[in-house]
Amino acid sequence: MPISRQTSLAANIVGFCRHLRQHQFTIGPGEASDALNGILVLEAVNDPYLFREALKAVLTKSQKERRRFDELYANYWKELSKAVDSKTKDVAETSNTKGKSSRKRPPSLTELKQWLFGNKNTEQAEMAVYSPGAALGQKDLSGIPRKGLEEIIQAIYEIARVLATKNNRRYRPSKTPGAFDVRNTLRRNMRSGGEIIHLSFRKPQQKKLNIVLLCDVSRSMDLYSRFLIQLMFGFQSTYRNIETFVFSTTIQRVTRQLATNEFDTALTQLSDEVNQWSGGTRIGESLNGFVNDYGKRMLTQRTVVVILSDGMDNGDTDILKESLATINRKSACLIWLNPLAGKPGYKPKVKGMKAALPYIDLFAGVHNTRTLQRALKRFKIKGKQKRLTLSP
Amino acid sequence: MENSEVRKLRESLRKQGYIVDASISLSVFLSMKLSKPLLVEGPAGVGKTEIAKVMAAALDTDLIRLQCYEGLDAAHALYEWNYQRQLLHLKMEEQSGKSLAEKEKDIFSDAFLLKRPLLQAITHHKSPVLLIDEIDRADEEFESFLLEVLSDWQITIPERGTINASHIPHVIVTSNRVRELSEALRRRCLYLWIDYPEFEKELEIIMSKVPAINQQLGDQICRFMQELRQLKLDKTPGIAETLDWATALAELHIEHLDKTVVESTLGIVLKDWQDLRQVQDSLSELFERVGVKSKMD
Repeated sequence: MPISRQTSLAANIVGFCRHLRQHQFTIGPGEASDALNGILVLEAVNDPYLFREALKAVLTKSQKERRRFDELYANYWKELSKAVDSKTKDVAETSNTKGKSSRKRPPSLTELKQWLFGNKNTEQAEMAVYSPGAALGQKDLSGIPRKGLEEIIQAIYEIARVLATKNNRRYRPSKTPGAFDVRNTLRRNMRSGGEIIHLSFRKPQQKKLNIVLLCDVSRSMDLYSRFLIQLMFGFQSTYRNIETFVFSTTIQRVTRQLATNEFDTALTQLSDEVNQWSGGTRIGESLNGFVNDYGKRMLTQRTVVVILSDGMDNGDTDILKESLATINRKSACLIWLNPLAGKPGYKPKVKGMKAALPYIDLFAGVHNTRTLQRALKRFKIKGKQKRLTLSP
Repeated sequence: MENSEVRKLRESLRKQGYIVDASISLSVFLSMKLSKPLLVEGPAGVGKTEIAKVMAAALDTDLIRLQCYEGLDAAHALYEWNYQRQLLHLKMEEQSGKSLAEKEKDIFSDAFLLKRPLLQAITHHKSPVLLIDEIDRADEEFESFLLEVLSDWQITIPERGTINASHIPHVIVTSNRVRELSEALRRRCLYLWIDYPEFEKELEIIMSKVPAINQQLGDQICRFMQELRQLKLDKTPGIAETLDWATALAELHIEHLDKTVVESTLGIVLKDWQDLRQVQDSLSELFERVGVKSKMD
């Protein structure tokens, strides 16, 4: 009798873990066994409250998961008891059907596709005239967007070098005399029996700045979609200390979706999990969302914030100003890259862009690789202060 | 209902002056029983670090603390040889006629080994509480390095060989969420989120930590703090600030809050100029909600 209970308990917990996994909890066999151990240690088998709390303590790994846990838990046991009542389904099936039914939103791959391939123009044509009537050939998702990626990555390497300027508290060996490195000196002179012949020196390691990339993916940016996605991917793959967000009407973090070496995987993940391609534009509200949810953590005096947007905004201008002021104050530097500004004779006439200008440290037109390189050349580091400044 | 062992733990923490609710005591208990590190997150000043301190006191063991900062590396976390001393020792021994092997054995003995927190924790004679404070301030490389130590409980010193933990420490890892922690570290740990306390809990904490205070003032302070946290402040005050404030007011022998008292002592609670101004502007409104009469009327 106790054995059968044991196995059914274990089976239930495994089933529940599977259920959580389907809801994007990162849970492996290790966590499942921890959960089971926890229940046994607490003797919580017959105590519903303790049982739930124990599972919660062991299986949730972040505050977000913690908030979602109770609902998932209630759902699971409801479904389970239904299944047991009707005696038609077993645990595994229950959790499977649960997973399916919960995926209400159809994958928005088509949305991304449209966003990506809604324009077929080449970069040059993009700049000249936007022709919405251009023929849309159906192309494979993996086909087009890779072109030009190498150049972008090369260009971003350059900015990465520029940004690696801040001194760290760690040291690395140096050939020129400076601070004395006792540890290395001793090591090098061991073979001469402790007689100091060679000297080693060290100098501070340099520390990279962090980048926060905020990408406008609203409808007005459709034209530059290919370049934008490449840029996001390029930044993410060359630069380690980076957080990427997209926004149209709300802000959404896509760092995780981009964190892969495979461009195609990143595309698939972006299309599956981001649902605001070609939405409306509320820049102010989106940026405000960023400041509130992530600002405290991500904005430091070592953060460079890069906003990629055309500034066409139909949201609240005051909120936009306020958010930009906050971002400007809390970060090392605020860069706004505007695809439209690449046109000769461009003047920021749009309401949103006008409002934003006073808070921006660097404003540049970027719509393809060439202009990106040109903009990056304007980064310069001011000598001793070791703070990012920009040449006009 | 609560497990009796958990209750016992809770009582002993309470005896150390740390008021815990069910979820905290449960997580601490499980992390001890399952020998897993406990990752504690939450806003600043809610007593994350304090958990480790009272745990050590309750378990009657030592607290070993590793404060993380940017650029923290293995030499500061694990061990380092005392090179200067080794050099001097070699110089002194030059004429002694000892063989090379003997000399080497000498200079790599315990006397020349500077034990840093992680090595200390592993070689400690009784399971200590190891507090890894503000892990989010160290960089990712250090985090990955820490994973290795936390999972195997062994440290390799090339000159000495591998040292295994004699007693596995109770590990508390705290984070202020300055940056996202890696998934790998999260998975190694049990997770605990501590939020700003509810009114009752905060009052209980004040009354136990600042016994000199009277019930009415404690009550007012708590209600004021609860309202203060509803405002959109840049630096929301935590329990630490509440306690500082309560202590200060008790020292000043103040019986109840009024406008002048609050205005002159607000700097204890708020540490940001803009926050201060914002609160001063809405002080009357705050008082109304707290139910305190301002002296003016």
